[in-house]
Amino acid sequence: MSLSSTMSFTVGSTARFGPRAGTVILLRAGISLSIDTPAPMVATSRGVIAHLGRDQYKRMPLQCISLPFESFLEASPPIPTLQPNSNNPLHTLLGFTPGHNALVLTLRDPSNSNETPANGNDYVSASTGRGMKKVTPAQWTEYAHACAPDLVVALPDIPWTPPPFSQKRVTKSIERTANWLAKLLAPTPLPLNVLVHMAGGISEPARRAFTDSLTETLYGKEAEAIHPHKCLDDGVVGYVFDLVPLGKAMEASADGARDEQENIVAFLRASLSSARTPKLRIVNSAESPHQILRLIRDVGVDVFDVKWAQDAAQFGVALDFVFPLPKPAAEGNKQRDLGHNLFHTQYAHDFSRFADFLPGCPCLACAPVGAREVILHSAIDAHTPDANGIPPYTRAYVHHLLHTHEMSSHSLLLMHNLAVLDAFFTGVRGVLQGGENFAAHVDRFAAAYDERLTVVHEARTMWKDVDLARGKGRLARERAAGESM
Amino acid sequence: MAQFELLARCPTTRARVSRLTLAHGTTMLPTFMPVATQAAIKGLSPQQVESLGITLILNNTYHLNLRPGTKVLSEAGGAHKFQGWNRNLLTDSGGFQLVSLSKFTTITEEGALFSSPFTGEPTMLTPEESISIQHAIGGDIIMQLDDVVSSLTPDRARVEEAMERSVRWLDRCITHHESSGRKTTQNLFAIVQGGLDFELRERCLTQMIERKDKVAGFAIGGLSGGEEKDIFWRVIRQCAEKLPEDRPRYSMGVGFAEDLLVCVALGVDMADCVFPTRTARFGIALTRRGPVNLRLAKYAQDFMPIDSECPCPTCVEGMSRAMLHHIITRETSAAQGKSNVIFNRSAVHSFTAVTIHNITFQAQLMGGARDAILNGTFPTYLRTFFATYFEDVGYPEWCVNALRSVGVDLLDGSTVKIVSGSGAKWE
Repeated sequence: MSLSSTMSFTVGSTARFGPRAGTVILLRAGISLSIDTPAPMVATSRGVIAHLGRDQYKRMPLQCISLPFESFLEASPPIPTLQPNSNNPLHTLLGFTPGHNALVLTLRDPSNSNETPANGNDYVSASTGRGMKKVTPAQWTEYAHACAPDLVVALPDIPWTPPPFSQKRVTKSIERTANWLAKLLAPTPLPLNVLVHMAGGISEPARRAFTDSLTETLYGKEAEAIHPHKCLDDGVVGYVFDLVPLGKAMEASADGARDEQENIVAFLRASLSSARTPKLRIVNSAESPHQILRLIRDVGVDVFDVKWAQDAAQFGVALDFVFPLPKPAAEGNKQRDLGHNLFHTQYAHDFSRFADFLPGCPCLACAPVGAREVILHSAIDAHTPDANGIPPYTRAYVHHLLHTHEMSSHSLLLMHNLAVLDAFFTGVRGVLQGGENFAAHVDRFAAAYDERLTVVHEARTMWKDVDLARGKGRLARERAAGESM
Repeated sequence: MAQFELLARCPTTRARVSRLTLAHGTTMLPTFMPVATQAAIKGLSPQQVESLGITLILNNTYHLNLRPGTKVLSEAGGAHKFQGWNRNLLTDSGGFQLVSLSKFTTITEEGALFSSPFTGEPTMLTPEESISIQHAIGGDIIMQLDDVVSSLTPDRARVEEAMERSVRWLDRCITHHESSGRKTTQNLFAIVQGGLDFELRERCLTQMIERKDKVAGFAIGGLSGGEEKDIFWRVIRQCAEKLPEDRPRYSMGVGFAEDLLVCVALGVDMADCVFPTRTARFGIALTRRGPVNLRLAKYAQDFMPIDSECPCPTCVEGMSRAMLHHIITRETSAAQGKSNVIFNRSAVHSFTAVTIHNITFQAQLMGGARDAILNGTFPTYLRTFFATYFEDVGYPEWCVNALRSVGVDLLDGSTVKIVSGSGAKWE
């Protein structure tokens, strides 16, 4: 039987909205894991952090890991539920370490915006590598208990059919999400740390109504079903906000009165207007450090996935920004890019390290650590460690790797980008804990760096070109081109 | 100049253990060299490669000359610094890729004429140019430019011409290398050619051995091109027998476990091949019981590591076959196209994990051979390996023949059957 874990969360500020620093403490079979917030959460695909090896997981500052479960539905039963000989089946299967990594289990990949068939009254449609699979709340409860993650997101009813959505559909979404949450909160000897996705779409009244349904005291059978909790909210340790479905719905609605960013803040605030603080607030698919800072400032969000920075590594961008900006900042009129598109030929002869503004970047690309332990293959093998330190990897080298379609490029960039994000969140917490004027720092940051992520978009285009020219299917494409000539 | 010390000889076979000391440290032989074509072992950092106990890797001259080019490499201070690899490095001459990758290569006495893949312009790779490029790369071992013909070429006159030309080009490489001032840090190897013709091989060996004082080692080229295995091993034996004792012998393009051990038994010290790293990307893990195809459904619920006795990080971390099976790209997934990026990315994780394992497997195989030769138990090591690896499918006949020629009879006291052909094991 798997051991469950308990979670506590404390925050420095009791204000409903506004920046706050906090601490999550997870206790799991006597092992405690403390996570200071605001904190980053690393996205996974098919259960792995692409471009990192398991040996690297252990050597990096990875704490929160977001784990979409849907790819495992390809096999029945899903393999995480079969992992033998472990109190931490999910950690064991995926190579994460209890006490070091907090695994947040969710059914669907929150960054995937693909259209999917409608959910039903008693199931969610999930996307796997082998087509769609329906998952019922009962199955989800079973999977969650078998996997024993640190945190689990109750099944949400998020419509993935094309927006806009009728009021009836939104109401249904609210009811289903609350019902399915109640099923996950059913009495059990080993309760889970449950998160709930805040329903209601882009309707503020609907979002408020959903929160009301969480905090409403239940009676009779409904109360028994979630015993010992008095209301659904008592049973959850935090709230999740997925921005991708919000973005899609906003695109489809004609409301042009507020900009998208203002809207998102308003939606999150609507969900939290009657919620009891403090509970952990998690945002999925923020698109930039600017947006992260605003959601910390205006709402008080505690955890953000950093998929956008992982994507930047995939596209060849080495991030290069800091928060707070050093004083005095190198003031200039021109906004700086958030990083360097190493596909660009300007880096072919650039032997400097990835980042200008993080001279002490501790990542394994900027501060490589020589092999401490080396496998010796015969009795006469010996290992003499390098007397001299290993110099940082250079932009020129990664430029070469990107243009030759070498996977190591993404690995080096990802290690770096995650370190940049780690330093960024450390900077955020430092400002909050030091009682400095957070909003002023956010303004300076926003003025200094290009929010449009131009550098990432450029890199993405170049990455696609190289992928077409050198990636999978290249020979077939070349043959086709040759024949059409 | 390279230091080459013989440490032990197998009293039965022609296998030997030696220590090769180059500008970037010591490499124990016999060894297998993983291939880092574009200045990177696919998916791994140099630190990861080093932690696997690898001390000598290969870079491809043809590729590095195209990208990043010698200018960038010179600015970086050589390929070692460019890629952050501080151990030994070998570069090939670029000749093999000219023939295998370019459709338009013409060989003349001057050099190899090919059309540039970037501009389409006619470009000449001469022996001198090859050595100059390899100087810019800065490998600890550099290879002569040779005239490569397929081992399947039926035209004996062409094979003979290529062999004689390779000798002449060796002289030009030697002259160019000696005048460069690079001799103290970079070591030139000759490449024996002559196809599958014992008489041509003999003539090539004689002429190249005459130049022994000017080369640091000898490679056996022109094999591993799809020829009959029963001829392959006979050519290896012929060359290894004749090549001088006090120079390392390098068999090019050899990577299957059984091929490696046969070559070692015949007196070969070094080998390279893309096989273990390339096959990893197809989901094939190498083990003492044969290759394991992790794509097969039978591994979907197998929670054992690839090999629980393997010291590689993938196996030590306990990464299960089931998990590897889960993340290896399935063609059906990629074909759906919609979210192809997601599938490609997670598959990289399995490529890397299996690459780590396969490189370690090759190193364990060769390290085990070194220990056995040192302990005087190499014949037993061979028998144990072949029995474990082939007991279910049968011994390849050519392996039996090859090892018999050096005094080891796999069939002695064995009930394993014999199979003809290459006998290579697959799953």
